[in-house]
Amino acid sequence: VTEVVVGRVADFPAGTHRVVDVEGRRIGIFHIGGRLYGLPNRCAHQGGPLCEGRRTTGTLVADAGSGWRPRWAMDGEVIACPWHGLEYHVPTGRCLAFPEIRLRRYEVTVRGEDVVVRLGAPSR
Amino acid sequence: MIRDMAVDHQPARSARRTPLSDLLIVDTDVHVHESPGELAGYCDPPWDVALRTIADVPERYLDIPGFSPGGDGTLTARFPTSHEATRMVHTPEQMVAELAAIDIDLAVLFPDHLLKLPVLPQADYAAALARAYNAWLVDRWTSRHRALLGAIAACPQDPADAAREIERYADEPSVVAVYLPCAGLDPLWGHRRYDPIYDAAQNAGLPVLLHSVTVTSPVFPFNNHGFDTELARHATSHTFAIMANIVSMVSTGVVVRFPELRIGVTEAGISWMPFVCNRLDKEYLERRREVPFLTERPSHYVKRIYVATQPIEEPERLRDIVALMELYDGEDTTMYASDWPHHDFDHPMKLDQVPFSADQRRKVFGENALALFGIDREGRRR
Repeated sequence: VTEVVVGRVADFPAGTHRVVDVEGRRIGIFHIGGRLYGLPNRCAHQGGPLCEGRRTTGTLVADAGSGWRPRWAMDGEVIACPWHGLEYHVPTGRCLAFPEIRLRRYEVTVRGEDVVVRLGAPSR
Repeated sequence: MIRDMAVDHQPARSARRTPLSDLLIVDTDVHVHESPGELAGYCDPPWDVALRTIADVPERYLDIPGFSPGGDGTLTARFPTSHEATRMVHTPEQMVAELAAIDIDLAVLFPDHLLKLPVLPQADYAAALARAYNAWLVDRWTSRHRALLGAIAACPQDPADAAREIERYADEPSVVAVYLPCAGLDPLWGHRRYDPIYDAAQNAGLPVLLHSVTVTSPVFPFNNHGFDTELARHATSHTFAIMANIVSMVSTGVVVRFPELRIGVTEAGISWMPFVCNRLDKEYLERRREVPFLTERPSHYVKRIYVATQPIEEPERLRDIVALMELYDGEDTTMYASDWPHHDFDHPMKLDQVPFSADQRRKVFGENALALFGIDREGRRR
C-alpha cells in the first residue's frame, strides 16, 4: 500500500473536483459534503475521461415513492462522463444505468494540510 | 461496457492481432462545424446578408433560428450535467489532432447545422447554403489536409442545382461522396424528382451517403412528437429515417435506374438491416407487380448498400454484432464510423471489442470504405 500526497486542502475547495496524476494513474479527487473521494479517470463504457466532466450535479430518479414521477436527487454527487453521459454516483462509485458496474474507490484523507491518496487494494 | 471485453473480446485477441494504431481506419462519418458567419463569405447574394444577420446569434447545438431551427434539445426540460453533448470541431488542425488521438487515418466530413438542411422551407436559400457549404468545405477543410475527405451536400429542395454542384466537384480530388440529408425530408429520397442527383453522382463516380438527425416535424417519419423523451426520439429518428429512405429507394427503383450508383447510409447502427431485408422480401412474394422493375428480390439491392456502424449497438453478447452483420451478408459493406465529435460518437476501441474475424476486422475498419469511396489507402481517388 502506498500513500501519496496529491496537494493541499486549499487545492480542493468544497463542491469542486480535479484530476491528479498519482504514480501513472489518473485519479479524480472530489470534495463533496465535507468529504473527499477518489475515482479512476476512466469510464467503464468506452474509456472516456470520466472525472474531467466540468462539474458534479444531481440527477433524476423515480420510484414508487415518487409515484414514478421524476425527482431531483443526489445533488452535487453525480458525475456524467463527458464522452457519452454515463452517470456515476461519486461517493459509492456506482454506475446509475448499470448498477452492477462499480468503480474502484481510492481512499482520500486529509493529514494536516495535505491531501493523501491511498493506493492499494481496491475499496469496495 | 468494459465488462464485456473480458467475456467476449478475449477469444479474438492474439499476439498477432494488429493494434488499432497500425490498422487502416477510415472514419466514414465525422462532423465539421459550420457557423452562419463562416459560410457568409462563400454564400451568394442575397442570402449572405441573411447569414451575416444571424452571425452573432448565441450558438446552441444544431439550433440556430433561420439556419438550423428546432434543435432536438429545445423540446425537453434541461437539467445540469457534465456530459459534453455539444462538442464541435472548428478547424482542420483541431480535427486532425483529435482524430489522430483515436487512431483514425482518413475521415469523411459531414456538416453540423446542415444536417437539418431539408427542414428549411425556402428552396433558393437552402440551395445557396448547400453551395456555400460545399465551397467552404473544400477551401477550408479538405484541401488543407490529406486525411480530410469531403462529402458535398446535395440540396433536396433544388435537385437541379444539386446535380450542378455534383458536376462542379466531380473532379475535385478531395471530394469522395455526395451527402443526402434526410432530416425532415419530403418527399423521401426514392422520388423521381431526385433522379438528376443520382444521374450526376453516378456519372461522377461519387457514392451518395444518406445522413439524418433528430428533428420533430409533421413529415414522415419525423412525426415523433408522440414520444415523451429524447431517448425515444433519438433512438428512432436516425433509424426510421434511414429505413424509410432505403425502402423508398428500393421500392421506387432508384437502385435499378442507377445500377452503377453506390449508396451508403450513416448513423443508424446496423440492426435494422436484417429487418428491412426480410420484411421487403416477404412483401415481394405478394406484391411483386407493384415493383416490376426489380429483377431480384428486394434484399438483393438492400444488401449492396454500405452501412456505417455508428452508433453501434452494444448488446451484452458482443458476438451478436457479428451475427447481425452476417444476417445481411455485410462483411464487404459494413464500415466503421465514429461520428466525432458528436455526443454519441464511437471510439474505434468500442467496435474493436466485437469478436470479428481478422478479415472482417480489416474490412470493416477500412477496406470496405476504400471500395465505397473509390480511394486508395492515402485517400486518393482511383
